[in-house]
Formats: sequence, C-alpha cells, structure tokens
Amino acid sequence: MNRREAIQRVALLIGGTFSAPTLLAMENWDNTKNASGRAINLSDQQKLIIAEVAEMIIPKTSTPGAKDAGVPEFIVMMLRDCYKTPEQTIFSEGIQDLEKKGFLESDAAKRVELLTQIESDAARQIAAASKVLPYWRLMKELTMLGYFTSEQGIRSSFDYTPIPGKLEMIQLKPNQKSFAY
Amino acid sequence: MNLNLKANKINTYDAIVVGSGMTGGMAAKELTERGMQVLMIERGREVKHIEDYDTAMKAPWEFEHRGKVSVQSAEEYWANSRFGTLANEETGGFFTDDKKNPYIEKRPFDWIRAYHTGGKSMHWGRQSYRMNRQDFEANAKEGIAIDWPIRYEDLEPWYTHVEKFVGISGQAEGWEVLPDGHYLPAMPMSAPELYFRETMMQKLKRPVTIGRIANLTKPQPWHTDLGRASCQYRSKCARGCPYGGYYSSLSGSIPAARKTEKLTMLHDTIVSEVIYDDKTKKAKGVRVINQNTMAVEEFFAKIIFLNAGSMNSAALLLNSKSDRFPTGLGNDSDQVGRNIMDHHLGVGANATVEGFENDYVFGQRPNALYIPRFRNWGADKKQFLRGYGYQGGASKSDWKRGITMNGFGADFKEDMTRPGTWTMGFGGFGEILPDPSNRMILDKEKKDKWGIPLIVFDAAFGENELTMRKDMMESAVEMLEVAGFKNVAGFNRTDTHPGLGIHDMGTARMGKDAKTSVLNKYNQLHACKNVFVTDGAAMVSSSCVNPSITYMAMTARAANHAVEELKKQNL
Repeated sequence: MNRREAIQRVALLIGGTFSAPTLLAMENWDNTKNASGRAINLSDQQKLIIAEVAEMIIPKTSTPGAKDAGVPEFIVMMLRDCYKTPEQTIFSEGIQDLEKKGFLESDAAKRVELLTQIESDAARQIAAASKVLPYWRLMKELTMLGYFTSEQGIRSSFDYTPIPGKLEMIQLKPNQKSFAY
Repeated sequence: MNLNLKANKINTYDAIVVGSGMTGGMAAKELTERGMQVLMIERGREVKHIEDYDTAMKAPWEFEHRGKVSVQSAEEYWANSRFGTLANEETGGFFTDDKKNPYIEKRPFDWIRAYHTGGKSMHWGRQSYRMNRQDFEANAKEGIAIDWPIRYEDLEPWYTHVEKFVGISGQAEGWEVLPDGHYLPAMPMSAPELYFRETMMQKLKRPVTIGRIANLTKPQPWHTDLGRASCQYRSKCARGCPYGGYYSSLSGSIPAARKTEKLTMLHDTIVSEVIYDDKTKKAKGVRVINQNTMAVEEFFAKIIFLNAGSMNSAALLLNSKSDRFPTGLGNDSDQVGRNIMDHHLGVGANATVEGFENDYVFGQRPNALYIPRFRNWGADKKQFLRGYGYQGGASKSDWKRGITMNGFGADFKEDMTRPGTWTMGFGGFGEILPDPSNRMILDKEKKDKWGIPLIVFDAAFGENELTMRKDMMESAVEMLEVAGFKNVAGFNRTDTHPGLGIHDMGTARMGKDAKTSVLNKYNQLHACKNVFVTDGAAMVSSSCVNPSITYMAMTARAANHAVEELKKQNL
C-alpha cells in the first residue's frame, strides 16, 4: 500500500474523498527535509484535521486557499523546527480534541460551530493570562504566517512591491490592498 | 636569521588595524588616506560587498521558516536568541554562532558579536546622534567615576567629518540636548506621527524628531564615487544592502581605504596578543592565529589600532602580558575590562491610534521617530541620574493583526488583505552608569579552540538603571495617553541583561590620569603610546544616544593624531 492509497483509505473511513490540493499537501509531508527539531507525532487523520482547519481559516475563494499555498505541510514543518515540546504537546492535544469531537465526520456548519467554540475558549484562556498559548492561537498564527508569506498568498492578496524605490505618505484609494514588500 | 629578517620585512606595515567593523573600517580609511600602509586584520570570514549578500534579494517565501528562528538555530545563537529574533534566516550570516564561540557568565550577559568583514556595521540600527555637551561633563559634575578628558568641542569637527562621509538623513532641530549634525534630507513622518510630534510639544514640551539614520536619502558625489546609491525603502538593511543604501564598513570605509591602494586585508585571522618591546617601550606588532589552519604568525607596525569591539579589544589587552605589563598591556590602572556599560532597553509602551483611516505609506521606512532625553534636563529632576531617549513610531497594521483577532473564513481572509488601524509604540534606550564592579576578566583555565582564554562576564544593571526603567515605562504610557491614543499598554521586560543593547562599551576608558584610566585623550594607551583603542572600550560614560557615530568620530580624530605624531617622530 503506497502513501496515496493509505490516505485514500483514511478518506474512506470518514466517508469521503480528498481534493487534489489535500492529497498534494499530504504527499508533501513526506518530502519535508532538513529536520532540525523533533518531529511531532501525527496520524494521517490528524494531519487531515490540520489541513481542513487551515482551509477553514483561509479558504479558497477567488484567490488560492491555505491548501493551495502549502500551508498544512508548512504548519507541521514549523512545529517540528521552531517549537519545543510544550507547544508541540498543546498543539497535538488540540488536534486530538477536534478528533474526539468528530470534526472530520461533521458537516460544514458543525465544523464552523466547533471552531467558533475553540476560538472563544482560547480567547478566555489568553485573557486569563495563561503563559502558554492555546492550540487555536498556534494554529491560527501558523496558518496565517504560512499563507500570507507564501508566494501564492502574497501575490494574490497584496500589492507586492519588493523594491519600492521611494517613501511616500499617501491616501488610501477605495478598496486598496495592503502593500507587501 | 636571514629568514626572520625577510619575514619581518614582508610582514611590516605602517599601521595595523585589528577589526574591520564600524571603527576598524574608519581607522583604515583615515590612516590610508593620510598615506599609511595599513594591514587590517579581521578574525572572521570574508564578506564581499553585494556579491556575498546571499539573502538580500530573496522574497519572503524563499525563507523556509519565514523569518522565525528554528530551535536548532536558537541553540547555536543562544545569546542572540534569549530576548528575541536577531539572528534569523534573513540576517543570521551577520551574527556569530555563540555555541562555537563560547564565553562564561558569572552574571548573565547578552554578548552579541559579528565575526566577519564589516562586523556589527553590517546589522547596526544606523541611528546616529551626537553626544551633547553635558554628556561629556556629567561625570565630573556628579562625581561619578572619572571625568572625560575631552569635551564636545574636541569631537565636534570630527563628528562633522564622519557624518558627511557616512551620509546621515535627519532633521536639524536646534535642540541643545541633541546637537545638530550635517544631514541629508529627512525621511517623512506619517500623519499620526506628525500629530504626535505637535501634541507632545504643545502639551508636554517634549521634542520629537525623525530618526537621524545612516541611510542615504540624497547621495552626495563622495557616496556615489564609492558605488553607493539611494535607499530603496525596502527596510531589509540587516541582510546587507546591494544598493549601498546604508552605511557599513563594506559600503563605505573599506572601499574608500581600498581606493588609496594602501590597504591590505587579512581574514580568518585572530589577533591573540599585542607584542610589547621592552627596549623601545612600544608595541612592535601583533601575534595572530589563522582560525582555520591554526598557523601562528607575527606582523609589525609603527602604530596599532585596536578596533575589535569593546569587549574583544579589552580581552586582547588583558591577554597581552609581558614583564612590563604582567596583568595585560596598558593595565597599570587595573581598569582594563572594568566599567562595562551599554544601553538598557526592552521598556516602553504601545497603543492603538484612532482616526487617520485614509492615511497610508508607500515604501518601508527603515527608520523611526526619536524622542531625545527629557529627564534630568533643564528644570526636570528625578530620583535617578541621567536619562533616556525613545525610539519608535506609528505603523498601519497588516495581516498580522488577524492572529490575535477573532474570526476565520472568507470574509476574514478578505479583510486581512487590506491595511488595518494605526498602532504606535516606542521603547527606551537608557544610559548606564559606569561601575568598576561591572567587569570582564579572562578565565584562568578555560580556553577557546585557538588557545585564547575565554572571557568571563560579571556585570548587571544597578539601582540607577532599575529606577530609571520604571520611569521609562511610565513616561511612555503618559505620552501615548496624553496623545489620546487607546489601549495604551506599558512594558518593562525583566529578561534583559547588559550587552543586549549591542552598545557594550567602557572597558578601556579614557582619562586624564594614568592611575585611573587606560587611554589618554587621543585614545592612546597611557603607558604605550603607539597603541590606540578607538572602539567603544574608550567610553568614559555612555550617554543615552546610539554610540556608533561617536566611536567613528573618536577614531578619525585619533587616526589624525597618530599620523601627526608619527610625522613629528613622537611615536
């Protein structure tokens, strides 16, 4: 059984199939290299949850979504390279929690409800001055970082101007996008 | 015998400059332009201007971790990574691997180094302010440490000299606390910043100006002659600028020195000691170790400039022992390695700004606002001595605001593609008083891989600094509140240590009296006049302004004096 078949089998288990970007994303997980930190242990099902949540934060619209921009594998790579055990554990527990709540088996409306709930829980936890960032904050930060610094994300979201050549105080035009540099 | 004589001849120059950073570069320029054959010795790898700026033109997505520091990198650059991101994928090439270059901390010290051509001039903050008249007089007036042997007037022509060469953009304001220099056109302030400047002057009588920064806004012929062009407003300076938009040794002083055809540069070469000649009562040269091959060699010169960075210049003196100087060259006063100063930071306030919705900025300004010292100035009197300046400014928030906002999905995504509200914040740079118990020594046993003793740091902030910090936070909060900004939040981080300001200085102070100081008023060792120390080690007090331009002015002045003395055959 190759990787793709294994992934498809997980998809069958949860009663569906995956889109091409998801499959591509999951295959890319095998290609992440230069492991410098300690990889976090994630089942295929858990990796799917990461991909689906990332896509819910930054969905494909008229512009690419999180999956198109390679965000799911970026998140796993970042957790491995840039985070230590405490954050990795919090992240894993957050995914396990979604797993227990039947996230993948849920329909779109139920998924939104689940994420809205963990978002408000996270806000409460941060307001209570907790020193460790909750799962949601890690997930959201990594998703946004992965997307808005990716080539697809930058080119489709912003007015990308790597060499401005001048500095000017200006007035916003209607509907003006942010500059990215 | 013959072989030795031959080697001596080949290895002999008019002057040796140890270090190629901010002051080493300036020393080499000033000495070569005065006809000296100069050997510049850099301990680290060679970086070539433009062609070795590997990350300069990379797009954001070309950095694997998108600017975040990996766990592995944080372990290698441990001193760098204690406080936040200094050495990351974009800039890491211009910082030094702390793991490979260890030091010992009796008390914590954030020692940030840059072992390569250009040293810290590659990643400096470029803020360039003259010290004011009081800065040179305060020690004597307040009975702190010792008096400076020079006054503002001694340095004034040399400030002018280096400012013009470096190219500093800024606004002359006529304020005594922040003496004006020679400036290229100032960078503009944003609408909320202009409002803030006006409000602070009206309501608190506190001046606010645009940062005086070593980025070219209007290059002059002597800049373009060296291949330097105008700042492109990318604000990616610390990667190395392919346009030569900001000043570094690589864009400025080294090319100028090369033009004279009198500069010889050695890389990967660590100076282990200065060789003292008891017969002539002068230093005759330096002993070096090639960092890769471990080969030892000696070089000779009439004058030697130490510009290795304050801590390393002092370490080099301490390691240069002889019968005449058993505790280190020029250390009769026992002041070498003492009086470590820096600027303390990591304290200030932030706020959100309402209004100015339609104001926006094109380009990234590599600069901030500057709020000069107002404490213990004029009629103001506080429970602590000296003062601090603030650096900061306003910026329009981008997609990162979404990380802490609630929301996800299509509308959220769309919202993140547009600029958000303005925020404003600034942080203080506080003066640190000289204290002889804040010191560095050489470890008696532990050595680095080249057999040079490791530096042991034993320094901490004193009561004056800790008291000042409270005021630094409170005043920052006050100013943002007086401006009418919202969600004002002060911060005063307790995880900072001396060194973090990367303005470490004071370890071979100047002074009038050889019993209490290491250098005379021309940065010469009192007891060995052909050795000059013109980096931050020479500082007698720290002021609160960013020090590089002062170091460069001192260096040019000392180089001029050295050549004059050589001509008079006094050296």
